[in-house]
Amino acid sequence: MNWIRQNPAWVMVGAMVGLLLFLWGMAIPLSAAPAPIGQAAQQFAEGSRITVLLTLIAGSAGVVIGVIAGLGKLSAFPPFRWLCDFYVWLIRGTPLLLQILFVWLAVPQFLPESMQISDFSCAAIALALNVGAYNTECVRAGILAVPQGQVEAARALGLSPLQTFMDIVLPQSMRVALPALANNLASLVKDSSLAYAISVVELTMVGYRVQAESYQPIPVFLTTACIYLILTTAFTTLTAALETQLDVGRKR
Amino acid sequence: MTATASAKTIIEAREVHKHFGSFHALKGVSATFSEGQVTAIVGPSGSGKSTFLRTLNRLEAHDTGTIRIDGIELNDDLKHLDAIRREVGMVFQSFNLFSHLSILRNITLAPMRVRKMDKAQAEAKALALLERVGLGNQALKYPVQLSGGQQQRVAIARALAMDPKVLLFDEPTSALDPEMVNEVLGVMRELAHTGITMLAVTHEMGFAREVADRLIFFDHGVILEDTTPENFFTNPDHERAKTFLAQVRHGF
Repeated sequence: MNWIRQNPAWVMVGAMVGLLLFLWGMAIPLSAAPAPIGQAAQQFAEGSRITVLLTLIAGSAGVVIGVIAGLGKLSAFPPFRWLCDFYVWLIRGTPLLLQILFVWLAVPQFLPESMQISDFSCAAIALALNVGAYNTECVRAGILAVPQGQVEAARALGLSPLQTFMDIVLPQSMRVALPALANNLASLVKDSSLAYAISVVELTMVGYRVQAESYQPIPVFLTTACIYLILTTAFTTLTAALETQLDVGRKR
Repeated sequence: MTATASAKTIIEAREVHKHFGSFHALKGVSATFSEGQVTAIVGPSGSGKSTFLRTLNRLEAHDTGTIRIDGIELNDDLKHLDAIRREVGMVFQSFNLFSHLSILRNITLAPMRVRKMDKAQAEAKALALLERVGLGNQALKYPVQLSGGQQQRVAIARALAMDPKVLLFDEPTSALDPEMVNEVLGVMRELAHTGITMLAVTHEMGFAREVADRLIFFDHGVILEDTTPENFFTNPDHERAKTFLAQVRHGF
């Protein structure tokens, strides 16, 4: 992993470009594959793009939720702390599949007819809430790891509590929290497959459909697994490089 | 106390009390400090000297009594606190440089955020300050790459970048290897002659005797002696001060 250490910025660019090329270019080599993969190449590519999109949306929202709830758990205002504790307790204590089904079937009953949301949005919301709860604990640990002296120095210099948080505490806590957040993101790539249950046509759903039409589960699921492996590899490379990038000025 | 005695009062502490749980750390401390005065605060550990220093910019909130800095009362009013912290710089025992920021950024952060100085101006000022503390060529390094003595000199430059009227030193050389103490004391000695008000909690008796205008001896949460360094070292009034001196005397 030395080359990642030495050029993290280039590795990040490389992983992103590689991911984009893979998502929009994979149909070309796949279409040359024998039946039943060849004729389903476009479907696999489209399903992969949905999987990645779902991961990125839920992943980014999940980080924001994690930071807010992580702060909330450390808040001096008890009701906010209780709310965040309850949220983490609820999400971590129930199955993800149930959460996805709940957002898809139960939430529309609360909403007026004009505000109905798509299957994809339901999956994104449920996944974001789920990964957000796991991120909360990582962010909380990260914030607690920032030495009190750093906060005192910032406050003594006249920085406001918000400036102290944004300029000092958040960047330093992210350095600590990032490996765990990256781990959650890698899990999210795979957890997004549960969206197939609410008929989102992502990668697993594509695989399921193609094998159902062709009665050839082995090549279809092997192809699906390979695509997932390439996606998770791209994501972990990206986050490993980001970790190195943020690791400046730290003792090793 | 020389010519500074007639100068304007900048810090006024009256009957300041502070408890940590059942421990009575400050028992009615009163003292005034005039502009340009260099005061050394000495005393055994646990005597309340650091606590007193930290109440002066509200890193510790005092329980009762009043503290006025430059005419502004230090209380729960955040406006007062911000105004005071802009005028009072602090140098910590453990440096507390922001570990994720370069040396240059450590110094420019507060002037840019708090004083709204533009980047070019802040950087020019930071480089001039680094030059002054003898670290002009270290601007782009990170704190972890510097020695303790160098880090503490950066911390002094960081505090000076806000143009404080008062500079508080909380045992600035206690965490340093012996051979690095002098480089920090050299910078402090130079500062003492610039007319800035300095309060230094220190164990460096040589420094206190040579540089300070005034010496305060703390014991068990009260000011036991408030006199000139010359008086304190040659003819202390209290038995506790004599014992303390006998214990620290070796070595200078």
